[in-house]
Amino acid sequence: MGLILFYFRKLFTVLKNEVLVLPSRVVVVFFFLFLLLLPLFTKDPYLLRIFTLTSIFAILAASWDLLSGFTGQMNFGHALFFGVGAYAAALLNRHANLPPWGTIPLGALAAVVAGLVIGIPCLRLRGTYLALTTLAFPIILMGLVFAFPDLTGGELGISGIARLARSRVADYYIAVVLMLGLCTIMWKITDSNTGIIFHAIREDELAVRASGINTTRYKLLAFCLSGFFAGVSGGLYAHFMRIAGPSTLEVSLSFQVVIWAIFGGIVTIYGPVGAVFVLFPLLEFLRFWQDYRTLMFAGVVLLILLYMPDGLFRWLRDKIEKECPRCKIRNVAMRHTCRVCTAPLD
Amino acid sequence: MEKLCKGILLVAIVFLFAASSAIGQEIKIGVIGPMQFVQGQGHWNGAIMGAEEINAKGGIQVANKKMKIQLIKADSNEFINITDATNAMERLITRDKADFILGGFRTEAVLAMQDIAMEHKKIFIGVGAAHDELCNRVAKNYNTYKYWFRGSPFNSTFLVRTSFIHLGTVGAILRQFLNIPKVKVAIVAEKAMWADPMIPAAEAVIPKMGMEVVGVWRPSDKATDVAAELSAIQRTGAHVIFTIFSASVGITFARQAGELKIPAMQVGINVEAQKDGFWQATQGMGNYVFTMNTYARGVESNENTKAFVDTYVKRFGETPTYTADTYSAIVYTLAPTIEMAGTLDPDKLVSILEERVYKSASGTVKYMKDAQGRHTHDLTWGPGYLTAIGVQWQDGELKGVWPNKWKATPEAPEITYKGVVPVKIPPWMIEKYKK
Repeated sequence: MGLILFYFRKLFTVLKNEVLVLPSRVVVVFFFLFLLLLPLFTKDPYLLRIFTLTSIFAILAASWDLLSGFTGQMNFGHALFFGVGAYAAALLNRHANLPPWGTIPLGALAAVVAGLVIGIPCLRLRGTYLALTTLAFPIILMGLVFAFPDLTGGELGISGIARLARSRVADYYIAVVLMLGLCTIMWKITDSNTGIIFHAIREDELAVRASGINTTRYKLLAFCLSGFFAGVSGGLYAHFMRIAGPSTLEVSLSFQVVIWAIFGGIVTIYGPVGAVFVLFPLLEFLRFWQDYRTLMFAGVVLLILLYMPDGLFRWLRDKIEKECPRCKIRNVAMRHTCRVCTAPLD
Repeated sequence: MEKLCKGILLVAIVFLFAASSAIGQEIKIGVIGPMQFVQGQGHWNGAIMGAEEINAKGGIQVANKKMKIQLIKADSNEFINITDATNAMERLITRDKADFILGGFRTEAVLAMQDIAMEHKKIFIGVGAAHDELCNRVAKNYNTYKYWFRGSPFNSTFLVRTSFIHLGTVGAILRQFLNIPKVKVAIVAEKAMWADPMIPAAEAVIPKMGMEVVGVWRPSDKATDVAAELSAIQRTGAHVIFTIFSASVGITFARQAGELKIPAMQVGINVEAQKDGFWQATQGMGNYVFTMNTYARGVESNENTKAFVDTYVKRFGETPTYTADTYSAIVYTLAPTIEMAGTLDPDKLVSILEERVYKSASGTVKYMKDAQGRHTHDLTWGPGYLTAIGVQWQDGELKGVWPNKWKATPEAPEITYKGVVPVKIPPWMIEKYKK
């Protein structure tokens, strides 16, 4: 009982001193609560489906940010990891009869291997050259999918895969809890020493190398980590949709991920996640005007990018919070002095 | 007076209640397809015609009440985004409360949508996707997939078989009229996945038909110039070009072959040539192109075809394509089955539908069983059932040319659809080969 009280008091202290002091953190807490409690208020299968898929794509978008946003390894073929995860999970399920809890991690490991396969030849490339080279990989894999239809199902893909869970609510919780957990892990990675090195590689790789850091190893690590998380989302997708087909490798999916990340704000992790949670349901909401749905969607994205070039969530965060010029701690925008070092904020 | 007013009020309330409950009794049919594309427009146009025809008669008789049809349009966006298609299907079923679903086109999307419809036990009549796997699922797992029925077209195995029959028909005509002893065939398939399995099949079947394959060409599906391929084909001395086109290369190929007056007949599948705009798109150079089709003006597969095609042309200004078979799915498949069952219960409807043999606008429908006697809910192909038609562009008009005295087997009776005309050989080909 004493231990429970201790942890309860600790939680309260953290909430009071670390969370409630910043609106962005309060929003994150509400976001977690909203997602975790949603099925208590509605069991609408359509709504739960939208949020399940949103969660799956949120992992994918965040994984792109980890590689391309933080490490600066511009990947225009991110669908490769997603597709490899989906196909590997589907194949393992169909041929080895492994359940989703076995196929999804193994699919993610297959995506890690894909990360290595791409990462090694791309190590010497930068910028546009890297982007265009990575774009080629999912196209190559799609060619292989069609070349071996007996194994991959060709244009039909692999269908009849086991369900993620028995009910829609269980599907939802698996996807949401994994999304929240994996995105938190990604955010913690970017906040760790490894994340700082990723960041530094993006800013000035030569300087990082001059500091005695093996950038090759870190760039490969970024490819593998990103591949792992994208592979998890691919495996989840395959089991939720019960099909892994060529559409999981399409160029349009790779670009969709880039759009999500830029819309929300790159180098944030939360930006791409938030963007998927805005854009994916928005596209569904716009079904009321079917003929102009895609046009309106494109209009919204263009407007946001025109007026908020750093992304929607960065813009919103800068409106409600200010960074202390002295200690770099964030404060509520209404404050005149820093909550930690009391330096003037204006 | 007060009593009279009360009486009138009571009658009015009863009337309003009855009217409102009658309005609420509608059969909701979801029409799902790529609505921004011609395939989806076909789905929707056919469904509108079907629903209006049924509603004009007062609706569908379900037990002792008449229920009108309410259509719900859902854009699957399936050419671009499979996820979007599945979301549209889920919405159609759980939000819009559709009782039946019609449509679908891209097989990968239809497989995913099929799972959702089956999970909700909704009858889903596929109008567009031809792949065999959709119906194989019914045989393999009947209890789950029994709510799926193929509406149009018949499966891809039969589509390929029909196009080979067309090839054989043209080969026989060339042998007969131009005295060509060994007909040479050039296979030209667009560079697309769906065409890949058809090439080895064609290479295997054509020699068995007494013809010779002179080569295979794979232009891009969006090629704007195929002069090199045509020159190579001409050098081989091919008499027939077996085309496998679904995209814009069908126009380019036909136009340039016409311009160069390549002495070979084009037969096979050319989706662009099925459209009314083909003549203009090829500037008349697509003359004599022969392709498989479902409908053509003036051709009657049975007594239902003419009324459907004429009304469709009058209303929408174009010849219906096979995705417009949502019309048949409503008028000939769903409505009579519901009336026979007297209920909307999907299980009862399935058991009635799978035993029915009925005439649609394109032929007689009978659902197949596989070799093991399991229901597949696939469409029976062949004489007396569905055969599709062969059409040829003849001087600006798309004419039905097949089946014309066609015998499926040497012992089978001859079949000729009303309105078909003889195949025409290009005059420059006659000039070259007629001795």
